[in-house]
Amino acid sequence: MNAQESTKPQELRVGVFVCHCGLNIAGTVDVHAVSEYAKTLPDVVFVKENRYTCADPGQEEIRKAIQTQNLNRIVVAACSPRMHEATFRRTVAEAGLNSFLYEMANIREFASWCHQNDPAAATERAKDAVRMAVAKVRLMQPLQTIEVPVTNKALVVGGGIAGINAALDLAEQGYKVYMLENSQSIGGHMAALDKTFPTLDCSICIEGPKMVDCARHPNITIFANSELVKCDGYVGNFKVKIRKNPRYVIAEKCTGCGECKDACPIEYPNEWDLNLGTRKAISVPFDQTVPLVYSINKDYCIECFKCIDVCGARDAIDFDQQPEEVEIDVGAIVVSTGFDIYLPYDMPLLGYGKYPNVVTSMEFERLILAAGPTGGKVIRQSDGQKPRRIAFIQCVGSRDKEHYPYCSNYCCMYTLKHVVQLKEKYKENIEVYVFYMDIRSPSKGYEEFYDRARERSVNFIRGRVSRIDEDPATHNLTVHSEDSLLGQPIEIEADMVVLATASIPKKGSEEVARILNLSRDADGFFMEAHPKLKPLDAPTDGIFFAGACAGLKDIPYSVSQGSGAASRAATVISKPKWKIEPIISIVDEEKCKRCGICVSKCPYGAIRQEKGQPATVITASCHGCGTCVAECPSHAITQMHFTDAQILAQIKAALQDKPEEKILAFLCNWCSYAGADLAGTSRCDYPASVRAIRVMCSGRVSREFILEALRLGAGAVLVGACHLPYDCHYINGNYKMKDRTDALKATLTKLGLSPERFRVEYVSAAEGIHYAEVIKEIDGQRRALGKEKIQTENVKLKPFLENMLKHK
Amino acid sequence: MPFKSEKRDSSEALVLEWKMQVKHYVLMLDKQRCVGCQICTVACPKAAITANKQPKIVGQAAKKPRIDIDQAKCNFCGVCDVFCPYGAVKVTVNGSHELSVISKESYPQLTRDITVDTRKCDKECTACEAACPLKLIKISKVGFDGKPVQDVFKLSPTGKRRVQVTVDIAKEYCPTCRACEYKCGPGAVTIKKAYEGKIKIKKQKCPEGCHDCADVCPITGTLTIGSDGKVHLNDQTCSFCGACANVCPEPQALTLERTKVLHSQVHSGAWNKTLERITSPDYAAKEFTAQAAQIRRKIVDKRFIVEEMKKNERTRID
Ligand SMILES: Cc1cc2nc3c(=O)[nH]c(=O)nc-3n(C[C@H](O)[C@H](O)[C@H](O)COP(=O)(O)OP(=O)(O)OC[C@H]3O[C@@H](n4cnc5c(N)ncnc54)[C@H](O)[C@@H]3O)c2cc1C
Ligand code: SF4
Ligand code: SF4
Repeated sequence: MNAQESTKPQELRVGVFVCHCGLNIAGTVDVHAVSEYAKTLPDVVFVKENRYTCADPGQEEIRKAIQTQNLNRIVVAACSPRMHEATFRRTVAEAGLNSFLYEMANIREFASWCHQNDPAAATERAKDAVRMAVAKVRLMQPLQTIEVPVTNKALVVGGGIAGINAALDLAEQGYKVYMLENSQSIGGHMAALDKTFPTLDCSICIEGPKMVDCARHPNITIFANSELVKCDGYVGNFKVKIRKNPRYVIAEKCTGCGECKDACPIEYPNEWDLNLGTRKAISVPFDQTVPLVYSINKDYCIECFKCIDVCGARDAIDFDQQPEEVEIDVGAIVVSTGFDIYLPYDMPLLGYGKYPNVVTSMEFERLILAAGPTGGKVIRQSDGQKPRRIAFIQCVGSRDKEHYPYCSNYCCMYTLKHVVQLKEKYKENIEVYVFYMDIRSPSKGYEEFYDRARERSVNFIRGRVSRIDEDPATHNLTVHSEDSLLGQPIEIEADMVVLATASIPKKGSEEVARILNLSRDADGFFMEAHPKLKPLDAPTDGIFFAGACAGLKDIPYSVSQGSGAASRAATVISKPKWKIEPIISIVDEEKCKRCGICVSKCPYGAIRQEKGQPATVITASCHGCGTCVAECPSHAITQMHFTDAQILAQIKAALQDKPEEKILAFLCNWCSYAGADLAGTSRCDYPASVRAIRVMCSGRVSREFILEALRLGAGAVLVGACHLPYDCHYINGNYKMKDRTDALKATLTKLGLSPERFRVEYVSAAEGIHYAEVIKEIDGQRRALGKEKIQTENVKLKPFLENMLKHK
Repeated sequence: MPFKSEKRDSSEALVLEWKMQVKHYVLMLDKQRCVGCQICTVACPKAAITANKQPKIVGQAAKKPRIDIDQAKCNFCGVCDVFCPYGAVKVTVNGSHELSVISKESYPQLTRDITVDTRKCDKECTACEAACPLKLIKISKVGFDGKPVQDVFKLSPTGKRRVQVTVDIAKEYCPTCRACEYKCGPGAVTIKKAYEGKIKIKKQKCPEGCHDCADVCPITGTLTIGSDGKVHLNDQTCSFCGACANVCPEPQALTLERTKVLHSQVHSGAWNKTLERITSPDYAAKEFTAQAAQIRRKIVDKRFIVEEMKKNERTRID
C-alpha cells in the first residue's frame, strides 16, 4: 500500500516534542539536555518542550508546529505508547499529517520512573530513546486505515440452546440468520433432557417454543441435516459452503403427518434416544423435531415403498434425492457446536457395557422422561423391574488425569436433579446413594437445590469408586469405594448404577476448527481470543463462540452466551464497513520463492499460497503480528509500520555508543512491554543499561535482529514475550519465536557466545517486578563478564555474524 | 444400558442380537434345519447373508455351505425367516415372532397350503408320519373315551370307527415337498408347493460317481443315483430349494429355475425385487402383470361403484 509515496523524494522535516509530564519526567531526566540533543539528530528541524504534551495546549503546539514548520515526521518523547499513542495519532491527523508518520519515545515509564536514583543515566537513556525514535520515524511511511464492506448476515453453526438464542437475538435485531445443524433437528442436548435444574421445569416445554420460533422467524433459515464444507473470506465477508445431506423426503412437501412412519415396517436404534429404543426407517428423531421433516435412513430401509404409497398425493418422498451444496455470504459466524458425552467403555472396573444395569446419566435422563422409550419408568434392563436402590457415581472420566482432567461443570447439579426427582417420585420406596469427590453448586439457587437433596435423605458418600461388581444371577451391583470422610472402605449394594460421565469436545470439532481456522485448547474445546476479556471471540475476527463448545456450561450460561455472541456478531454486521489497522503484512511477489512456509506459520491462516503462485496475505484476516516476516526465508514479507529497515535503524541507533555496556531488549507490545511499563509505573529501580524496542509480537523478532545487535557489539540481547502456552495475543507467536531462538541460541553458543548474553524471558503485563529483576540479573551478568571479555567475544564472533547476515 | 449388537456362531446355531434398554431383537439360524439352499441370501433386502462353500473331503459326503450374516448390514427385518422353506431362521422382537414386514405388508407371507382331512384317514395308517423326510408329522389317536390309543388294530370295528385321528404337521418347518401326500392312500393330505420350478440335469455333464447333490438334498428319494452312475430327479417331491444346485461341482450340470412362489397378496417394491431374485425377471414379470390386472380390476370396480352411487344419488334428487 502507499509504497508509491515513498518513492517521491521528499525532504524530511522531523519535529521532536519533549514532555516534562510535570515533574514526572523533568524531575529526574534533564529534559533540556534531551531537547538540545534532539536538535543534533539528522533531519530534526524543530524541537519543543511541553509541560504536559497530552493536555490541550501541548497538543495544540504539535498541530501548530506541523503547520507552521511544515513538519512531516513527529516524535513525541513522553510516556508509554500504550498510554498515549492513539491520542497523538489523532493530534497529528488533525493537523493534516498522516497519523502513521509519528513515533513515541518512552522516557517516563522507561527512564524517569525506573531510574530515579540515577538521573544522569536516566537522561542518557532518554536521549537514546529519542535517537531511536527519530531513526525509526525517518523511515516511516504514510498508511491508510483499510476498510472492507460487510455482509449484514450471520451464520450460526450448531442449533443447541446456545445457537438458538444467538440466532433469535440476531434475527430480532433485524439481521438475516442462517442456522446450520448437522443432526435432523435443532435443540441439542437440552431437547433430550427431562427436567432442568434447579427449578425442575420440563426441558422440552421451555426449549420447544424457542425451536419453533427459530423455524417460524422470517429472518431465520435453518439448514438441518447439513454440514459445513468450506469457509473462505474474512471478517464481514465470509463465503460459506454448506452441504445439505439427502433425507429422501422433500422438505417443502413433507407435512410432518407421520403416516409414513406408521406404514414403515423397519426399526433401528434411535441414536437420539441414546439407542435405548428404536425409530422407524422413515421417521423423525423425536416428536418435537424442528424442522418437522421426516428422513429415511437408507442403511436400514428395505425399499418396500410403503411410505410412498401412504404419502400419496403429497408426493414428498424422493428416493433419488442427492446431496446439495449451497453457498452463502455472511459477515459474522457464531459457533455453538456443543459437546458430546463420554462412554466409559475403557473403564472396565465400572462395567459399563458389560453389566446391563449400569447406565450413564444421559441414559438415565431418557429413562425418567415421560416421553422416553420406557414411558418415564425407571426400569432395569436385566429384568424390566423398578430398582429400589440406585447409586450415582460422580466424576466418571472428569477430573481424572487418565481421561479428562477438567471438571465437566454441570454433572454435580444434574445428579442432584436426578436424586431429587427420584426421591420426590418414589418417596421412601427408593434408596439413593451419591458417590462424589466434591459437590459443586456455585450458581444462583444451586446450593439451595443441594439442600433440597440433602433434606430428602439422600446418602452422600465422599470418595472415588474403585470398582463395581455384579451378581451374575440377580444382576445386582456392588459399588466399592472409599469413604474419605470416615477414612474407611465402603461397599454399597444397588439395583442400578448411574454414571455421571464427563462431557467431552464434540465429535467433528477438529473438522470445524480446520474449516473455520479456529484453535482448540489442550482439552479439545475451542479457544477464545482471550479467556477473560474476549470470552466470546474466536481469534479469527468475525467468528464468535456460544455455549459448551468453548468449555462446558450449563443452560443458563449457554443461553447468556448465545445472546452475548449475537451482540458481538452484531458489532460486525451492524456496520456498513469494517476498519482494519494497516499494521499488516504484505508479500513482495518478486522476492517470494513460493515455499509456503509463511502459510504454516501465520497463526490466523491469513496467508494463501497456491501452487507455483506467490503468497498473498488476506488483509482483513491479518492481525499484524509479523510472525510471517520473521519466518520468511526470502525476506519477501514486510510488516507495515514495523519494517525490517525501521527496526534495524532502531537497533543501530540504540547501540551507537558503548554497545558492550548495553542490553538490547525486544519487547512484545501486549505482555513484556506492558510489564516493563508496570516496572516504571511501580517505580521499580533497575539498571539503565537497557534499550528497548517495541514489536507487536515476539514472533516478529527475526534472527537478523539478534545477529545484527550482536554484530554491533551489544553487551546482551533480551527477547521478551508473553508466557507460554496461552498468553500470546496472537495465539502462538511466542511459540514461533521460541522455536526460532532456541535454534539460534544453540548456534551462537557453539560459536563462542557466552550464553548469558542472549536471553528469552516471558514477562506478563502484571510482572513489573519480574522485569526489573530480569534486567538486574542480565546487567549483573554483563558486568561479571566484563567489557574486555565481551569485546574479545565480539571480535571473534564478528566474521561469523557477518557471514550469517550476508547469507540472508 | 448402552446398545449392544452381538453375534455368536456355534455348530448348532448362528445368533444375532440387538439389545436395547427396551427392545430385544434376536435372529437365530438353526444349523440343523438349514440345508444350505441359499434362498435367504437372495431374499434378504440388505444383501446381508452370504453362503460359504465347504471344501469337499474325498470319501465323505458333500457338505452344505455355511451361512453367514453380516452384523453391520442385518436390520432384523425377518425376510429370511419368511422365505426359508425349512423354517431354519427365526427372528423375534422381545420374544414375539410377529414380523412387521408381514403385518405392514411389505412382504407377503409364504403360503404353506397344507390340508389334512382326517375324516378320510384310515384309522390304522401312519404312512404320512413315516413318509416325512424331516420328521415333522406327529399322528395321535384317541378313543371315544378321549384316551390315547396305541394299537388301533386291536380294537373292535366300532371302537376303531370311534377313534379320532389328529395329524400334526409342524408347518413352519415344512418345505411342502408332498412326500406325505404321495404316500397317503386315502388322499387325506393335500399340499400345494410353496415354491415351484424346474430342475435340469445334463446327463453328459454330470460326473459319474459324484453324488454331492444327493448328499445334501434333505428330501430322501428326490435325487437318486441310477444304474448309469448318474443322478436322477424325482421332481414330485422336490421342494425346489436349490441346495443341490449349490453344491454341484460341474457348472451347468444341474440347474434350477424357480417359476413360482406361493404367497399372500401384497403391494410392495421390496417384494417385487425379492421375487425377481428368487425366481427370475421373466417369471416375476408374469406375476407383476397378474398383479397389475388385479389392480386395474379394483379401480374399475371402484369406478363402477362410484358411478352407481352417483346414479343412485341423481335418482334420489330427481
Ligand atoms: C445428563 C445431562 C443433564 C443435564 N441437565 C442439565 C440441567 O438440568 N440444567 C442445565 O442447565 N444444564 C443441564 N445440562 C447441560 C446442558 O445440556 C448444556 O448446558 C447445553 O446443552 C449446552 O448447550 P449448547 O447449545 O452449547 O450445546 P448442545 O446442546 O450440545 O448443542 C449443540 C448443537 O450443535 C450441533 N452441532 C454440533 N456440531 C455441529 C457441526 N459440526 N455442524 C453443525 N451442527 C453441529 C449439535 O447437533 C447440537 O444440536 C445437562 C447435561 C447433561 C449431559
Ligand atoms: S421404503 Fe424404507 S422407509 Fe419407506 S416404508 Fe419401506 S422400509 Fe420404511
Ligand atoms: S503472521 Fe501475523 S503478520 Fe503475518 S500475515 Fe499472519 S497475522 Fe499477519
